[in-house]
Amino acid sequence: MANDEYLTDYDQIVNTMQMYIDGSKQGRSELMRPAFHADASFFGYAGDQLAIGTPFLFDWIDKNGPADKIQPRMVSVDILKSIAVVRLDVGGWSGKLAGSDVYMSDLFTLLKTPSGWKIIQKAFHWHS
Amino acid sequence: MPERNIPQKTLEAWKQIAAYLERSERTVRRWEATEGLPVHRREHEKQDTVFAFRHEIEAWNRLRTKCPAEISADEAENLLPVKPTTNAYLVEHDAITHTMHRYIAAARAGDGDLMRPAFHPSATISGYCQGVEYTGSVEHVFKWITGNGPAPNITPRFARIEIIESIAIVHLEVERWSGKLAGANARASDVFTLLKWNGEWKITHKLFHWHDR
Repeated sequence: MANDEYLTDYDQIVNTMQMYIDGSKQGRSELMRPAFHADASFFGYAGDQLAIGTPFLFDWIDKNGPADKIQPRMVSVDILKSIAVVRLDVGGWSGKLAGSDVYMSDLFTLLKTPSGWKIIQKAFHWHS
Repeated sequence: MPERNIPQKTLEAWKQIAAYLERSERTVRRWEATEGLPVHRREHEKQDTVFAFRHEIEAWNRLRTKCPAEISADEAENLLPVKPTTNAYLVEHDAITHTMHRYIAAARAGDGDLMRPAFHPSATISGYCQGVEYTGSVEHVFKWITGNGPAPNITPRFARIEIIESIAIVHLEVERWSGKLAGANARASDVFTLLKWNGEWKITHKLFHWHDR
């Protein structure tokens, strides 16, 4: 339901997601950490390896380095009172670990905490 | 031992289930594999010890014997697949709904152990219950489900199933929760993230929102 409350939540969610995007673009995990809940989880296959846990994500972002050509798109934003789902598709990934011109689809779930909308979970699919 | 319905409300073992549906045991076993016949197992017992709730079998049978045109939109949303599909996307869709129906059946039965196989071992949960945030291991869900006891009236609706090859998101609306912990008539919006892990779809995260009454 798109009403004023929705728009406020939507904008706050976009702000949270921008931290993630900025951290990805610059290859700096400290920019994206505030977007994540302290107990956030993380799952996805990087090649054949199943990556679990936000330490893996943050370490990967730092090791990958800048990816300034990424093309992020918020494909969907669903808001249900205190929980939300965001699909973020990102084309043009590059970097020491990503390679070049890689496409990823990310599914984020967020929780509305007293300190704002926080990513509680990230699942990704690295397209071949 | 988990809570059970009174004896008349359950069908014990394949023999009773087959007799109730007036078919051979072979046929009803096949129906479980290919047509979503809702049978349950107790995980700590032999794989082949099954039971079924009469009302679930009745509901499944009703949907199955209707012509497609007679099925209302609500029923169609909950319809378990009648025929296996060859379409690659729908194969994944059906596998995901199969995992989700295991979750739903376990919630109905009030049995956390029945629910465990639907989840990845490292799965977590998060959400608010009456203003308090609960975040942690999915074991909390299994304990809650068992502590809550049976919730036979829950009405699940699949609001969204989005699949991106190895990951998926399911938004499940669940009405008419009941039980020792849920209360009399509660509604929840649940968002599940799933991963295709070793060829099977497992829930990696459950995010819940209990609606105020």
